[in-house]
Amino acid sequence: MNSLTKETVITPLSLKLLLICGFLLVLPHIANLKPEFIVISLALLTWRAITLKFPQYIPNKWLLLPLSILLALFILKNFGMSFGRDASSSLLIVLLALKLLECRKSRDVIATVFIGFFVLITPFLFDQSIILALYSVCIFLLLLLTLLINTTGQKTLQSFTLFRLSATILLQAIPLMLIGFLLFPRMIGPLWALPDDASNAVSGISDTINPGQISNLALSSATAFRVTFEGEPPEQKNLYWRGPVFYETDGIKWQYKGNYKTAGKLTHSVKPIEYKYTVIMEPHHQTWLYSLDLPNHKVANSKLSEDRQLMLSKKLGRTLSYTLTSSNASNTKLTDTLKKRSLNLPKNTSDNILSLAENFRKNSSNDLETVNKALQHFNQQDFFYTLKPPLLGKNPNDEFLFKTKQGFCSHYASAFTVLMRAANIPARIIAGYQGGIHNTLGGFWEIRQADAHVWVEVWLKNSGWTRVDPTAAIAPERILNSINLAEQLRVGEVRFNISRPDGFMAFTQQAKWLLNTIDYYWQSGVLAYGPENQAEFLNQAGIKGWEDMVKWLTIFSIGFLLLLIIYLNFSKKTKPDKAQQILLSFCKHLSKRYGEKHPYETVSDYFDRVKKQNSKLTTSLNIINQNYLNCRYGRADIEPFKKSVKAFNESLIKFK
Amino acid sequence: MPLTFPQRFSLRRFTQGEMATTSAINLDHRRIFILPSRSGLVLALVILLMLIASINYNNSMGFIFTFLLASAAQVSSFYGFKNLSGLTIQAIKSDPCFLGEKAYYKLSIKEKEGRERWAIYIQLGDKVECIKNLKPNQVITLTIPVEPKKRGWFSADTITFFSYFPLSLFRAWSPLRFDQKILVYPTPSANKLPLPIVSIDKAEGNSISVQQGSEDFDGFRHYQQGDPYRRINWKALAAGKGVFIKQFTSPLADEVSLNWSSCHANNTEQKLSQLCEWVIKAQQDGLSYSLKIPSSSYDANQGIQHQLRCLKALALYK
Repeated sequence: MNSLTKETVITPLSLKLLLICGFLLVLPHIANLKPEFIVISLALLTWRAITLKFPQYIPNKWLLLPLSILLALFILKNFGMSFGRDASSSLLIVLLALKLLECRKSRDVIATVFIGFFVLITPFLFDQSIILALYSVCIFLLLLLTLLINTTGQKTLQSFTLFRLSATILLQAIPLMLIGFLLFPRMIGPLWALPDDASNAVSGISDTINPGQISNLALSSATAFRVTFEGEPPEQKNLYWRGPVFYETDGIKWQYKGNYKTAGKLTHSVKPIEYKYTVIMEPHHQTWLYSLDLPNHKVANSKLSEDRQLMLSKKLGRTLSYTLTSSNASNTKLTDTLKKRSLNLPKNTSDNILSLAENFRKNSSNDLETVNKALQHFNQQDFFYTLKPPLLGKNPNDEFLFKTKQGFCSHYASAFTVLMRAANIPARIIAGYQGGIHNTLGGFWEIRQADAHVWVEVWLKNSGWTRVDPTAAIAPERILNSINLAEQLRVGEVRFNISRPDGFMAFTQQAKWLLNTIDYYWQSGVLAYGPENQAEFLNQAGIKGWEDMVKWLTIFSIGFLLLLIIYLNFSKKTKPDKAQQILLSFCKHLSKRYGEKHPYETVSDYFDRVKKQNSKLTTSLNIINQNYLNCRYGRADIEPFKKSVKAFNESLIKFK
Repeated sequence: MPLTFPQRFSLRRFTQGEMATTSAINLDHRRIFILPSRSGLVLALVILLMLIASINYNNSMGFIFTFLLASAAQVSSFYGFKNLSGLTIQAIKSDPCFLGEKAYYKLSIKEKEGRERWAIYIQLGDKVECIKNLKPNQVITLTIPVEPKKRGWFSADTITFFSYFPLSLFRAWSPLRFDQKILVYPTPSANKLPLPIVSIDKAEGNSISVQQGSEDFDGFRHYQQGDPYRRINWKALAAGKGVFIKQFTSPLADEVSLNWSSCHANNTEQKLSQLCEWVIKAQQDGLSYSLKIPSSSYDANQGIQHQLRCLKALALYK
């Protein structure tokens, strides 16, 4: 028992555990951060690992100090003063590795573990998958164990007790964590402006459409959002998930400008069919939301614009869930500004296009007929729907319509809109998604990036803004069936799920649906729990406003802690071990004839007392006593003790 | 004994403990206190930073792990309390010592709830001892070396049991005071003055004839407790015949008279120190000796009990 304080040198065991934690903490960042930072931190960690074997390589502070300054400058040079997700994660993993390199004392271990806890949450800023969450729980447990080993100063992991204790602490912390998670008042929006790094490498529909871009998305299996319908969903061919509306084009690409005029009421001639549904939107770092056709109302913290887009004030950087009602009604009003914007022809509109449009218009009596003429043109001419169209030059619409005639939905929509405008029909492009996969297991629709689609809305006098999908005229199977992504990826060309899968394919599909279902509940239950969902969820329980949340947060936490105290202090009185149990029952057995064992007596004393009363028992009691002492205090097995007690009891019966 | 209201809330109870007691103290809710340690406060800061990051990015998983960490820290405090609670501590009578030597304050620590205990520190003054591990139902005796500063009764200050178990985030402590004292004898004098031996046939208090114990061998007898080791018949012992003592008889039947006035030291402490040395020497030589100091006097006698009585009188002389 030597004197031991916080200044003690760390044990190799806690250092080893710490190193394992260090490597495991850097690992999830490999895909997220710049490789130089990963390499630096892994190198520092490896250095520390080497010093386990060769302690002479432990750096002294004259080496560590310049190294730290150098690394700090390196980070500063890379990120400047903008301290966002990438910069802070890089800084933290380098800091963790540096601190580990410097780790000598017991309190250094504590500091390193604390940094480790912070590093633990940084990968979630990039990806919040369920796998990563489970992985992080394991590291969390390991960090707790490291603290525990460090505090107790154990040199080996022989005893399982400490591991069990850290697991117990973790399990008992979960209810309190849930109370905090559910009731801690959530705020909307960042506390300070986030640097733009948060939107790096997010695939999805962006604020410009150029013909090649949507076809890139067609090969992405990433989930854009998921939807559950209350009641019957519409048919597959009517699942048009409407996103941003585009008016402006330079003849090559379309640019999203947004529309901040709020919407008026929808008008409808016949009673519209309404659909109610909930969308779990993945963070797409854009300001718009998707809805089925035209939404009837806005959702919390959003605006509904004049052209019926749901718009957020900030880019969406988190999972968001919202419930909407949509109908197939349309908007008949056309304001002057909108009319101007939706008739504006790009400067490079060729004479060919103008004369083709003129041709359509001359041969039809009204606008609807003109639209149909144009669709028929696509259908009857040898247009071809493909993922790999030939490259187009300076005037893509003209080249596509009259030369290549091969294209993807964006080519058709773009050319069609220009044709309509040339025929003096107001037209605009809508980007969004079409269709989706119905996961029968989880009962939800999954809309993938591969379902990205572009279509057109034209304004007709009688029906107002009307959806026209030129792609449907060329490739109706695109609209009628969901995209077969696996096939599409293999062939590199558009493929649809026309026949039902069978055999192994059916099995893999089921497995995929199961994983998607788990992910869906993860997304909708855990990740989408933000300010809006919290308010809605707690409202059901009668908790309104943040003061109420704080109040109940306090009440529940204290209540749980009291319960835990009661459980820990009053529940388990220690159970005697097996040998003790057998001995106690044996003594009880003896007490019937020879008097009870007094609490102050040892077993040997009691047996001596019994022997005095009946000397015949001397030998067998001696054996029992010896066996008991051997197995309880020595290293002997419990079996001989059991046997001797059993033999004694049997002989007692014989005596009778 | 229940505490009165002012006693219960006095600050002394948290730092120095309750009234000293001779009986065993059971560590329970009344005796154990717990507060965040410095590391715990640092962790609170880390949790705050994690919370700000989670709020800023509205990150659900960030929230989950931040709250999980805070909850685990909170839950760990209960285990910190449990690590000390249910221990029974009693101060054991410790051997007397001479001033200037180390005394050993002994504590019996008994685990009686059948739970394993970890990393318990025991602080007495500036000495910190550590029990790294205490098995279920284990009883151990802890000796804390102390250096008494003056002779007489030494009583320990507050003995603090503390522990950072399990995660170093909380410090649970229990200040205890025991009414168990250690007797501290005067320092035996360093100048080896010869024993003042007085012959019986000479008139009492006259000249002090100093003779070295020139005794005649008189035979063997069985060893009795308190006999000086130097008189053990080692040859017989080595031969396995048992422990025998060589007996001597002094032809003069001399007696050592240790007298306050027979010391020529300057001050009281030096006198006590000289007398102390003589008592030890006389006992070692197996002589019969009497002690006379102003506060008390003991007739000539031999044996360990007599020695202890004399030393105690010297230690407690005022």
